[in-house]
Amino acid sequence: MNSFENYNPISVFIYFMTVTVTAMICYNPVLILLSFFGSISFYITLNKAQKGKTHVFLFALILVSAAINPIFNHNGATVLFIMNNNPVTLEAFIYGVFLGIMIASVMYWFAVFSQIMTSDKLLYLFGRISPKTALLLSMTLRYIPLFSLQIKKVSASQKTLGIYTDESIPDKLRGGIRVFSVMVTWALENGIITADSMTARGYGIGKRTHFSPYRFKVRDFVLSAISLTLFTVSCVAVASGTTAFSFYPYMSQIPLSAFAFLSYFCYGIAVFIPTFIEIKEVIRWKYSESKI
Amino acid sequence: MIVIKNKTLRQVLSIITPFILIPCIIAVGVFVLDEKYYALVTTAVAVLALVYFITGFERKQTGTRRLIIIAVMVALSVAGRFIPFFKPITALTVITAVYLGGEAGFLTGSLAALISNFYFGQGPWTPFQMFAWGIIGLVAGLLSTPLKKSRLLTVLYGVISGIAFSLIMDIWAVLGHSGTLNTQLYVASVISALPHTVLYAVSNAVFLWICAKPFGEKLQRVKLKYGV
Repeated sequence: MNSFENYNPISVFIYFMTVTVTAMICYNPVLILLSFFGSISFYITLNKAQKGKTHVFLFALILVSAAINPIFNHNGATVLFIMNNNPVTLEAFIYGVFLGIMIASVMYWFAVFSQIMTSDKLLYLFGRISPKTALLLSMTLRYIPLFSLQIKKVSASQKTLGIYTDESIPDKLRGGIRVFSVMVTWALENGIITADSMTARGYGIGKRTHFSPYRFKVRDFVLSAISLTLFTVSCVAVASGTTAFSFYPYMSQIPLSAFAFLSYFCYGIAVFIPTFIEIKEVIRWKYSESKI
Repeated sequence: MIVIKNKTLRQVLSIITPFILIPCIIAVGVFVLDEKYYALVTTAVAVLALVYFITGFERKQTGTRRLIIIAVMVALSVAGRFIPFFKPITALTVITAVYLGGEAGFLTGSLAALISNFYFGQGPWTPFQMFAWGIIGLVAGLLSTPLKKSRLLTVLYGVISGIAFSLIMDIWAVLGHSGTLNTQLYVASVISALPHTVLYAVSNAVFLWICAKPFGEKLQRVKLKYGV
């Protein structure tokens, strides 16, 4: 039970924010590539060979970005060819590729983020900051499956009553709206009963307490501290211009000073933390299995 | 739970956030930071606006029934997407806002965006979507008197907000892609999204034309009967 998703949601949230924000503000090829490889390796350790569609979609995104940027952006000194009286430049093309990789890496991070931060964890996270909104959210999340079930029931009973047609779109639309209208009435009445029941049990009288199965352990503190420290290094590096890189008009040299190296090193550690934790867990599992 | 105990500090914060903090961030974004950080700046502004709104909601006393009705409307607009041909988020946000006020509209729109993204994928665009839908609800609440009277105006509002939503999200798409607001790229993305925008505006219009009145009456009835 030591894999990355079992860490406390607070430290997982801090980790994701620091890593993705760095990728979004750095505009440095090395850091962007590190973020890309880190996110993709974590995605693959979590999903193995499944969900190939995401990879296809995100690599297509990189290609599209590489193709679109030179068409709309004519900065850059190295002209490759002229299209519609507009120069298509090498710099714009490479900038497009890097933008694509940056966006794809952020999308990978968010894909993993949605996978790990399930709605109950988000509620734990924001329930402390905003209890009323959290209550609203958790009630809504319960209502959605309830309503979908009820929608199915209502449309089934409408069918048995003979009120249905599949002939034309307006007819289907009318049927859909009728079902929905029934749903609205039912849902509102149902909600009022819930509200009365809550009031009867004393909602709103005292302070709200929360139950949550998550505890903030030493390892959570360590993870948050590490990600915040590494993030500070990246921020200082970006703000001081140590890792600054410009694409236009000519591509500048990749910054290779000692401090730039330090920031690459720190970010490199940061992006591979979750992959490392997952792999360590798999090895430990295999090891304990072999001892049985 | 973060509750600021000091009353004066709370009041000062509630004035500073919309009138000083947000303009400051925009000014820093425009004058100090490089233009490639526009996407980040807009996201920060959207998040701050949401936080500001939610803290206001948190401080107020809201009846349990009102709270539940908002939850029901959010859930309906998300669950409604499982019925074919339906995209009821905008329409239901408008209806809720007209009958229950701008605050309820803002909450319905922004929470519906947040929750439907649990099913369709969260991303950096989530705060922006929440903000856009929330504003649609807030404005509908401000216009509630004329909108309640005229069916045609409601439909018109649905069409305009559908188009505005697409235009705003296109700005976000362009900013997110190239950092700067490239006009040509923006026009291209608006044109490529045109069929989608039209479909969206038309579905809003149809939904509001048919449902605004009956759904409004249902809400009105619950409001009267149970004193929401």
